[in-house]
Amino acid sequence: MMDLAIRDIRQGLGRFTLTATGLGMLMSVVLAMTGIYNGMVVDATVLPDVYDGDLWVVQKDTQGPFAESSRVPALLVDRIRAVPGVQRTRAYMTLNVQQQLPDGETLRFTLAGLSWPDDLGNKLPLEQGRALRQPHYEMVVDHALGLPLGATLKLGRDEYTVVGITSGMVSSGGDPLVFASVSDVLRIQNDLANEALRLEREARVSRVRRSPYGRDPTNLARAGTPGSLPATAPPPVTAVLVDLAPGYDKETVRASLNQWSDISVYTIDEERELLVRGVIDRARRQIGLFRALLVVISAIVMGLIVYTMTVDKMLSLSLLKLLGAKRRVILRLILEESLLLGLFAYLVALLIGELGFDLFPRRVLVQNMDRVALLGVIVGISVASGLVGLRKALSANPNEVLAS
Amino acid sequence: MNERLGKIVLRIEGVSKVYGEGPTRLEALRPTTFNAVAGEVVAILGPSGSGKSTLLTIAGLINPPTAGSLEVNGKLAIKDGRQVTNLATLRRQELGYVFQRSNLIPFLNGEENVRLALEIDGVSTRESRQRARVLLESLGMGSRMQAMPAKLSGGEQQRIAIARAMIHQPSVVLADEPTAALDSSRGRQVMELFRDSAHKHGAAVLVVTHDHRTLDLVDRVLEMEDGNLNETQPIADHK
Repeated sequence: MMDLAIRDIRQGLGRFTLTATGLGMLMSVVLAMTGIYNGMVVDATVLPDVYDGDLWVVQKDTQGPFAESSRVPALLVDRIRAVPGVQRTRAYMTLNVQQQLPDGETLRFTLAGLSWPDDLGNKLPLEQGRALRQPHYEMVVDHALGLPLGATLKLGRDEYTVVGITSGMVSSGGDPLVFASVSDVLRIQNDLANEALRLEREARVSRVRRSPYGRDPTNLARAGTPGSLPATAPPPVTAVLVDLAPGYDKETVRASLNQWSDISVYTIDEERELLVRGVIDRARRQIGLFRALLVVISAIVMGLIVYTMTVDKMLSLSLLKLLGAKRRVILRLILEESLLLGLFAYLVALLIGELGFDLFPRRVLVQNMDRVALLGVIVGISVASGLVGLRKALSANPNEVLAS
Repeated sequence: MNERLGKIVLRIEGVSKVYGEGPTRLEALRPTTFNAVAGEVVAILGPSGSGKSTLLTIAGLINPPTAGSLEVNGKLAIKDGRQVTNLATLRRQELGYVFQRSNLIPFLNGEENVRLALEIDGVSTRESRQRARVLLESLGMGSRMQAMPAKLSGGEQQRIAIARAMIHQPSVVLADEPTAALDSSRGRQVMELFRDSAHKHGAAVLVVTHDHRTLDLVDRVLEMEDGNLNETQPIADHK
């Protein structure tokens, strides 16, 4: 039996191609939404994946550092190191930075601290250059920032040199990541102008004068002497990462740490869960709803298209029935056209994805499972649309041929 | 010589068609009986509304009658107004149709339109292509069989439609004003085709027509008026 669907498509190839391309573009948005969500999850978990750490210690009763803000004293790094079962501790610190360059361009990035000398950034996915070698004034940047090796950037009072370039390192907000030592990050964060320092010193002296301690002239004289006390308190860090010694149980060490009243302790998996559930959950649901809406719209559009294509063929279908064509001839014609339309649209969506998704400002990560799922959705929509068309097709009346 | 020639291939007994009930009741076809034999061309004449098309659609197994029986090539299709067999199968195997407009399928070329009548009945592509080409060559359409319907003239389209109606060697061909859209010479050519095909393929051809210029090419003429069928000319000797 000749293939009627192919012949019908061949007759109206231009219209078919345009229709399928339009549907394909709609489907490419569904694919993009899936890719954007996957990209968000990957982006969001970049930092915990890079830092790893068996336990994450954060401010008491907070879900920091990703889900909410957390501040712990920097000395906590040393306190925790003394706990049995702890092999290594690292300070964790991030800072959002936005810089206006001399040429007017704005650089926005997230500055993340590496705990020198325990962590030089050797686990970073470097595509050029090297990890940190100096405790100060070096940084490893993501290539999305656009800075070349050897470029310098003034942050706070100091200039930092790009010594390494990573790929795919972005924060949960989508900003490129820049890695420097924790002490540099703290210095940049707590950089105060001279005037601010002087005002802080004056305020300190004033506080001492008002206190009982200030009634002693000796103390008062000491408080007013520059350098006799630190001008500002030691800056806190965001969290402390704990690596366990071999053979020690994670839950046991956590239980020990949880006895301290000023901290909360999470495992790396709990941090990832908090991040995905807390930070991007709303975006995930929004994207999920948007994607579902697009699928429904695509199904309606495709159903209407197949229905219209069927209506256009009603006389031919009536003739087929008059000639005694079996139902399966008509069923094959309608379903095959519908499936071919869907498959062509699918290929268009894949092509758009291949060519266009890299141009998106944020990561669009389409995995093979997503492609298979989209194919399943399109086949489902095609079959449903075909059934809508088939219902109309089977209502064709051979009498219509005579009436025409 | 076709072995079917001279045999009764369409038997209509007491067939009538009534539309509506009560005050809106309309008797479109009064109880009618007639037979058609293989190889003859029968013209059905009559004014609009006389019941010609109703008779044709009943004979073509498109429109069920209210009462009566109908048999095609010895196969009982309708008995006492009720369908007793699969009409689609009977239409596919025993009937051919030609209309005022050719009603070719627009996305199939001439040859494919003809092949379709065979392939929907399970004939292989190879055989259907061969038979269609032979038939179209014989109808003078050899050079135009690959053209799409939109590229064919009215006369060419009608020849393709006749080939489609004849290709599966039906026992009855029903034609509804097949010459109405053609000029007189092309209309005559078409009627000659019907006559030749009827004799060659052993089919009875029933032609509903208003065209009196071609009546010399038919074997008998039936006239319809107010749902009644009257024979106005004797059966031609086609044996």
